[in-house]
Amino acid sequence: MLNLFRSLFAPPRHLILVFAAVWLGLTLAEKRVSRHGILKEVFDNLVYYSILAYALGGRILFVLEHLQVFINSPLSIFSPNIDLFDPLGALATAILVGVVYGQRQKLPFWATLDALTPLFATLAIGLHLSHLAAGTAFGRPTALPWGMELWNAIRHPTQVYELIASIFIFAFLWLRKPGSLAGFDFLCFTALTAGSRLILEAFRGDSSLIFNGIRSTQVAAWFILAAALIAGEILRTREKTA
Amino acid sequence: MQQTQRRILFLILLAASFAWILFSVDKSGTSTAGKIPAPKTGFLAPDFALKTLEGETIKLSDLRGHPVLVNLWATWCPPCRAEMQTLETVYNDYKDQGFTVLAVNMTSEDDPQAVLPFVTERGLTYPILLDNKGEIAKAYQMKSLPSSFFINRDGTINEVVIGGPMAEALLRTRIEEMLK
Repeated sequence: MLNLFRSLFAPPRHLILVFAAVWLGLTLAEKRVSRHGILKEVFDNLVYYSILAYALGGRILFVLEHLQVFINSPLSIFSPNIDLFDPLGALATAILVGVVYGQRQKLPFWATLDALTPLFATLAIGLHLSHLAAGTAFGRPTALPWGMELWNAIRHPTQVYELIASIFIFAFLWLRKPGSLAGFDFLCFTALTAGSRLILEAFRGDSSLIFNGIRSTQVAAWFILAAALIAGEILRTREKTA
Repeated sequence: MQQTQRRILFLILLAASFAWILFSVDKSGTSTAGKIPAPKTGFLAPDFALKTLEGETIKLSDLRGHPVLVNLWATWCPPCRAEMQTLETVYNDYKDQGFTVLAVNMTSEDDPQAVLPFVTERGLTYPILLDNKGEIAKAYQMKSLPSSFFINRDGTINEVVIGGPMAEALLRTRIEEMLK
């Protein structure tokens, strides 16, 4: 079953899973957007503009980073190769465009993030599925009976661990009763995702290491977890004093 | 839950998380990558020794110290054909800097008689290797053609590109990164 899945969605077809997750996440987010006091059309535009900014920003920034190469081969700017892309630059561009659009439409910051949370949670599921299909985000070797053969070793199925965690996070957020504190959904998603990543990174075989073996992703996740918890407390305090 | 209790719980959570970070330190100092040969970015490229069209044997590990592009292709594959001239161009531009292309023909799934005329017609000068037994297709877990593996000087895989044709800019950016 797993082999069939991985064969069906072998790269570059694994991206279909991400696109499907974005579509599903947007559909689910639209169902609840009105409870955050946001118009559906404005919310859709926010998402579409951000996605467009992600796609264009990633390509444009890659071109600018390797300008001399593209001057010699200008048609490559329009190449369908998805590897001609700067993912971090794309994310930064998408966030910038989203923030600018949100400010122009006078969208409430925390409520908007809450409205986007189902999309983020579904996207996380899609990403883990695509990792499973492509064999990325792989685990370290193990002798455990549920190890998965991948890249010439029996490994922790970390893609499955992360998939299960992201499904639980989505279910918790989707099924919980809506509260009055704007920002709670988003901060909860952030804290849970950072926490699960912090725990599961220990089983990864592709960790980036710093300071004599410490996994850098765990350090980043710890700070994100701390920031989410602190931000939640600040919001609670502000609500009480308001 | 009261505010004080909640904050104590959060502090315990952060402390436990910090302890987990220290507990899960990778004492070996590296991830799996680089220790096991596998057709995946960061891993050691699976070694092979194949004959060229001229009958010469080329072994991948003999090229350690030079950046290499291993390109899996077949004469019947349209995107493979489309990118071969671009490969020839970048090969000629960078070969003096130590870069080489090893174009491995999937001969077990191709017409062996068609390979030489195909190469001659296009004036390709980089080494064309013949995978008669399908060993490279298996070792590199080929799922689609073309498949390209950019290999660093130390023998580890810098990037895997599945499908094509690869844009000239993609080739040049990756090669220049490996030549640094």
